[in-house]
Amino acid sequence: MLDRLGTSLKDAVKKLAGKTVVDRAAVEELVRDLQRALIQADVNVRLVMQLSEAIKKRALEEQPPKGMTVREHVLRIVYQELVRLVGSAGEVKLEPQVILMAGLQGSGKTTTTAKLARYFQRKGLRVAVICADTFRPGAFDQLNTLCSRIHVPCFGNPGEKDALKIVREGLKSLSSAEVIIIDTQGRHALESDLIREIIDIQAIASAQHRWLVIDAALGQQAAEQARKFHEAISIDGVIITKMDGTAKGGGALSAVAETRSGIVFIGSGETIDDLERFDPDGFISRLLGMGDLKALVEKAEETLAAAEVDVNAMLRGKFSLRDMYNQLEAVTRMGPLKQIMSMLPLGNMEIPEDAYDITSTKMQRYRIIMDSMTAAEMDDPSVIGSSRIQRIARGAGASPEEVRELLRYYKMMKRALKGVRGGQGRFNMQRMLKKFGGGT
Amino acid sequence: MFEGLRSRLQKITGSLEDRIEQTIPAEPSVEKTGVPGGAAPAEAAEKDPSLLSRVKVLITDREFFISEKDVEEPLFELQMVLLENDVALPVADEIIRRVREDLTGKRRKIGEPLHEIVTAALRNALMSVLGDGFDLVSYIRNHERPVRILFTGVNGTGKTTTVAKVAAYLKKQGFSVVIGAGDTFRAGALEQIDVHADRLGIKVIQHQQGADPSAVLFDAVSYAKAHRIDAVLADTAGRFHNRANLMNQLEKIRRVMNPDLIVYVDEAVAGNDAVIRAHEFDRTVGADAVILTKADMDSRGGAAISIAHTIGKPVMFLGTGQGYDDIVPFSPARVVEELLGVSA
Repeated sequence: MLDRLGTSLKDAVKKLAGKTVVDRAAVEELVRDLQRALIQADVNVRLVMQLSEAIKKRALEEQPPKGMTVREHVLRIVYQELVRLVGSAGEVKLEPQVILMAGLQGSGKTTTTAKLARYFQRKGLRVAVICADTFRPGAFDQLNTLCSRIHVPCFGNPGEKDALKIVREGLKSLSSAEVIIIDTQGRHALESDLIREIIDIQAIASAQHRWLVIDAALGQQAAEQARKFHEAISIDGVIITKMDGTAKGGGALSAVAETRSGIVFIGSGETIDDLERFDPDGFISRLLGMGDLKALVEKAEETLAAAEVDVNAMLRGKFSLRDMYNQLEAVTRMGPLKQIMSMLPLGNMEIPEDAYDITSTKMQRYRIIMDSMTAAEMDDPSVIGSSRIQRIARGAGASPEEVRELLRYYKMMKRALKGVRGGQGRFNMQRMLKKFGGGT
Repeated sequence: MFEGLRSRLQKITGSLEDRIEQTIPAEPSVEKTGVPGGAAPAEAAEKDPSLLSRVKVLITDREFFISEKDVEEPLFELQMVLLENDVALPVADEIIRRVREDLTGKRRKIGEPLHEIVTAALRNALMSVLGDGFDLVSYIRNHERPVRILFTGVNGTGKTTTVAKVAAYLKKQGFSVVIGAGDTFRAGALEQIDVHADRLGIKVIQHQQGADPSAVLFDAVSYAKAHRIDAVLADTAGRFHNRANLMNQLEKIRRVMNPDLIVYVDEAVAGNDAVIRAHEFDRTVGADAVILTKADMDSRGGAAISIAHTIGKPVMFLGTGQGYDDIVPFSPARVVEELLGVSA
């Protein structure tokens, strides 16, 4: 996800290690690496320049507090400035409200509308959606199909060309719903008639929230587009979509800066449950290459029964094949492994790339193989010798080589998790951030 | 198009010229001071051998060097301009390197207009990055029919709309076209392409939602063969390059329909990620040409420059709006001329 950016930042930070005084050259190098990393993440060039100036100034002027090393001091400044850049999360209240979705063509408004409907539905609210996209063919069918899967009423009329009329009628006929989400047609800042249209829609709907949907891959355009949308309907929240690709979502930060709002949600997959609440600390932590345990636990609580994956036991190092089995089973609900791993607080520990390189079909195979193991083997894989491997392979219809591969994978995961727990002699980001009392 | 980048680039060429120009004023004074104040320049020349050689060159050949220092600042500005216009960082670095190499160490004849040197350096760098265009019409003319064209790309870049636009474009050029509705995943995708095809009067081959896209596209090719149709346009579902199973599905589609051209579709507003995903698509299923959509959203052309440079494949079309006619063939030479305002 945001790992690439994290890696370059980590490299930059590493260069500060062992320095006893804040040395100008090292800080400048760090700032330069930071600039390159952020620019590659599509953060607005002007914002990056402001940020790096602030960091440079503070790092050179402020004295490190007693007992804090230079690296911790500088890193703390970097962290605080990044927190300021990212901003706080936009507010989401669980109460009756109307939400108006806005964004560029193809940013993922319709998919996100359905995901939001699902989110509020799960929180126990009566949700309904209105499809005000009268332009794109198939838009109503798309939203209607997605909503009928989760039994959310969807108002729309593919034959009607007047979006305003649809919104007016929709609000009337859905008045019993507590949360109404209005999906609109994609538009961009230079299409003045469409900007006019969304202003009119807002005049009719007087939505409490106007959320701007931003593709994680959007580049330097983000600032300008966000400004125009903000001028039109006063955006009060930003949703980043397509975070499951390799894009880092830096463009959305410019949108946040322009609209002076916060990121409310992050979309990270194609299924209707792939929507997370935005957590600024988690976002930054990922930037810095530190995982975010909170987001993982939150998500685990929502989608899993407590017994299924015991994250804490895993982090204590009690990671058996059984845990891995549960984990693989949970993966379909929690998203790709990499996503989960990126949320674990792995500190500055490197997980070998091939640990992620496991496709869903392979996971299926692993689960079948593990189904052929005994309970004792699942709890203590060290008893598995070559004759047991033979038996397991026969039972699962797999080759012994596949069973060995599974065991290798297990060992790799176990080693990785051990590194998380220990942190002895290593630079422990988690502990350090605690020392700062929340960073901000 | 690309007005933003253009105006900034023109400003930069101006500033590069100014910097280089600043090194010139020394020259006439040296010539003049031959008799009255000859001591001062000579002294300076002794201290600085490079200056000495420069003065020498000046006097003997009436030429002079452009040193790296002279162009440092404007080049940094140029880099900022490129970055602000969504040229990916590694690509921007590459362009800067080329311009710097091209400019520095160059001996400049006094009579030669500065404007030309600077613009030429920039033009060379941009042209070598943008590559050649791709003429789809002549490709189809010179190729065995039906020409099978597969459209790929990540979610939400506008593949389906682009397929409709290209279909309309080819139809206008007098070719017969059939569309294969290979996006069987996204809800509403089939309805979307149906409506487009209906409006354009083009046949669509489709199965129901959730069907195997390879089978759909295979049928589309068979239909085209049986009906002597010129071009098959194969739409596919958007997919992220880091999803191994979805990329495998695309690989299977490629094996089954055996396309003549694989067209990678991305949006002109994409930032640095454009480079990463273009590279991944090119690596896994290949790409013969690129179509950039949503070029009307902005006046920057960074993504075009980045993608073309990264995968070394020509840009075929630009999508410039929501209508069927909003598609223009991409000509690198014209774009560069436009950016640098050479005609002006």
